[in-house]
Amino acid sequence: MKIEKKLIISSVINAAFIVLVGIVGFQYMNLVLTKLRFVEIADDLNASFLEMRLSEKNYFLFHNKETLVEIQNKIEQTRKTLKIEGNDIVRAIGVSDLRGLEMRLTTYETAIILAQGRAPQDPALESSIRTAGRSLKEYSDSITQLERRRVNEIILGSKRFMLYSFWAILILSLLISHYISQKIVRSLRGIEAMTKSISGGNFNRIEGLQTKDELGAVVSAINSMSEELAHREEQIIQSKKLASLGILTAGVAHEITNPLNNISMIAQTYDEMYDKLEEQDRKSFMQRVEAETERIRKIVKNLLDFSKPKEAHPREADINTVIQKTLMLVQNMIDVSGIETSLQLHTDLPHVFVDEHQIEQVLVNLITNAVQAMSEGGWLVISSRSHNHGESVEIGVCDTGKGIPPEFVPHIFDPFFSTKGDGGTGLGLSVSYGIIKNHGGEIRVESKVGVGTTFTVELPKYSHQDRVNNGSESLSDRTQLNKELV
Amino acid sequence: MGYRIMVIDDEKIVGDMAKLSLEQEGYEVETFLNAEPALARLKEEKFHVVVTDYKMKGIDGMEVLRTVKRDYPDTTVIMITAFANLDAAIEALRGDVHDFFPKPVKIKELKSSIRRALIKENAVA
Repeated sequence: MKIEKKLIISSVINAAFIVLVGIVGFQYMNLVLTKLRFVEIADDLNASFLEMRLSEKNYFLFHNKETLVEIQNKIEQTRKTLKIEGNDIVRAIGVSDLRGLEMRLTTYETAIILAQGRAPQDPALESSIRTAGRSLKEYSDSITQLERRRVNEIILGSKRFMLYSFWAILILSLLISHYISQKIVRSLRGIEAMTKSISGGNFNRIEGLQTKDELGAVVSAINSMSEELAHREEQIIQSKKLASLGILTAGVAHEITNPLNNISMIAQTYDEMYDKLEEQDRKSFMQRVEAETERIRKIVKNLLDFSKPKEAHPREADINTVIQKTLMLVQNMIDVSGIETSLQLHTDLPHVFVDEHQIEQVLVNLITNAVQAMSEGGWLVISSRSHNHGESVEIGVCDTGKGIPPEFVPHIFDPFFSTKGDGGTGLGLSVSYGIIKNHGGEIRVESKVGVGTTFTVELPKYSHQDRVNNGSESLSDRTQLNKELV
Repeated sequence: MGYRIMVIDDEKIVGDMAKLSLEQEGYEVETFLNAEPALARLKEEKFHVVVTDYKMKGIDGMEVLRTVKRDYPDTTVIMITAFANLDAAIEALRGDVHDFFPKPVKIKELKSSIRRALIKENAVA
């Protein structure tokens, strides 16, 4: 669950960041609004104070007691305002500043009230009124200025904060998603390479991608699937071999009948004519029996060799020898089918480095397919020649059968592809393809409907590198080598 | 009676053993490894019975049967075969073969069959 967890965590982190920034921004906003509200109020108050001071000046000029009353009313109003807007004011400037304002206001009021009770031109009174008034006004002004400045600072600050946090969030989320997606993409590329190589028939494990998360699970699933496929491939080879064994066994059984009949007839004659035979003849009979049993032994051995499951044990070989051996296996099938065979084997071919049994299996497959594609009177041509200036050897299996329709030709080597209802003899072309590929060779087909089909197998010539590598059974080195050469 | 028997089989031992055994019965026996020289010989000399293998390279047993029945209708043909195959037997029967022996052949039975064929031939003749 690692990746899922990572994704969740990173989403949560991102969301948390955004929420945090949102909250801070919201707080800023609130603060600004509060200050602005106060500035609004303060403007009103300052306007009132200005009026008061104007009235004050008025009084000192005309000494009209009514002016004082006006001032007092204003002071009352101001008090009311301070009370009503008390909360907003406190929110902006704090309790102590509000008290400061109230105090100065009270002092001013006191001075005004005193003045109403006394004779107008009391200089001490006038001066105390002036002082109180000035103090009030100045105090209020300074608070207002301060708040204005604060508002500016706050706006600036929050602008900066917004900018930084925007970048921070952007970079953070880019980094996180980059990191996570890199991991995922890397694993996915590995998996892609792996599945490509598997579908190319190469069932190797992929190491180095075993992480403990979902992708690791996929990789190990693919690894075990790959092992399973490799097993299945072996099983398919075996079962196809067994199927072809059916046909070959019938052929072999037939081949054995003749030596058996020979032995039987010799024995019958020996028994019936024992007395009339000379000792030399009797001995000769027994020797001929022995020769026939040897014949049977070879036929059986051929069949047993074919049916053994084997790892590839390649060695230097002459391809014509392999072809001849294969023909022995299928001779009966060819005879029975009424098909004419023509052998066009070049001599002096370069040797090849092959597992003879596997190549025999491939040739049995190709010849069986050829024979089955033809009816009586068809021609089977088996040829061998050197190719590419002696760098490789080509084997041709050519028939005059019904041919392969062009839409099937590209699929002819696909596993499980069959144009006949799998009376499947031979190994199946997909297994043959795999065998030739493992030998570093190629297998090609040309076909025309109604005319015939030719399969060409190309095998690289034996090189001294093979002798060096011969300790290991690996033919895959050869595949690698040929890839480099080509 | 100098009955002449021809044996055609690509296994040499079959001809050799058949010759030894049949000569015991007083027949004259000639053996061939394939059908061409055998058919040529038939043109030179009359044979009473032709014993032939069913499946051979080149001219096979069925063609021998057809040729003999066409050109020498008095001659009996007996087939031996490594093919224990019903279709082959039916085909040969329809071609008017006298008898059909799957390998391994019991020589005694072959001799009986030849004897019966000769009796039939004499009866007809």
